[in-house]
Amino acid sequence: MRCEEVREVLPAHVKDGSDDLTVRRHLARCPECKAELARYESLMGGLRTLQMRSVDVPAGLFDQLLAIPERSSRLDSARHHVARHRKVYVGGGIAAVAIAGAAGAALWRSKARRPLTA
Amino acid sequence: MRRQKDTGDGAERELVSSELIERCKSGDEEAWREIVEATHRDVYTLCLRILGNPADAQEATQDVFLKVWRNLSSFRGDSMFSTWLYRVASNTAISKHRKRKRQRLNEAGVDDEVLAQVPASGSVESAAGAKIEVERLEEALALLPDGLREAVVLRDVYGLNIAEISAEQKISETAAKVRVHRGRKRLKEIMFPEDSGTETGER
Repeated sequence: MRCEEVREVLPAHVKDGSDDLTVRRHLARCPECKAELARYESLMGGLRTLQMRSVDVPAGLFDQLLAIPERSSRLDSARHHVARHRKVYVGGGIAAVAIAGAAGAALWRSKARRPLTA
Repeated sequence: MRRQKDTGDGAERELVSSELIERCKSGDEEAWREIVEATHRDVYTLCLRILGNPADAQEATQDVFLKVWRNLSSFRGDSMFSTWLYRVASNTAISKHRKRKRQRLNEAGVDDEVLAQVPASGSVESAAGAKIEVERLEEALALLPDGLREAVVLRDVYGLNIAEISAEQKISETAAKVRVHRGRKRLKEIMFPEDSGTETGER
């Protein structure tokens, strides 16, 4: 078995092992591939240690999280307000469009009635 | 996934007690403070590892706790709170990737420019049993393409199985397996660049 083929399977082999005898036999005989496996094993060990390691949180995050209940109730009341007044808003919008349209039409008519002075 | 806190004597305990959750459900603000205090570091860390940058991780952490606050009443205690919390966190962080659709490296590989940003590897021995510097490993993780980083973090840091990763990433199990495989390979190349040349012997 060629080294390239063995190295292709090492990322899977490192965690779960391999039942493939040819891979195991190659690893037993090839110091380069064995060293490569050792690098993957170091990597896996390093990744595992990250689980118990927390990073520093940005300043202010904790306070933002504490304020979430209040923020959530503000969002909820805003949402309820919008839902309750949707009909009013929609009605108001239609009325505003109608008024603007009427005003535009009146303006257009008054301009059209003006005699040409050229 | 980190589901319990190591008490130092080998035993593990749940980070948040069911009594605390019940108090919080009834609107006790002090209980909310205790829950946030006990868990926010781990949630932020998970978001940072998945997302790869602090600003997004901070935003995601806020989204996570907003979801927790809103859905706490539906948490029945059938599963452990920390399991549920980290599931919410990884879901939130992963969907953040999809939403923002930021132009990042695609899964075809880490390009040379990015690899050039990785600090020299002089401090990392490449022999068997080499010690890995965790700070450098965190930096290397951040350089992986999104999908690969998510898969490696969930599998190799938090211990999810392939089925769980495929569910989290909404991809097939085969695709999840490929991502883990490629992610480990890329990470190894970043951490041990001087050793990534392949011998061509046959044994």
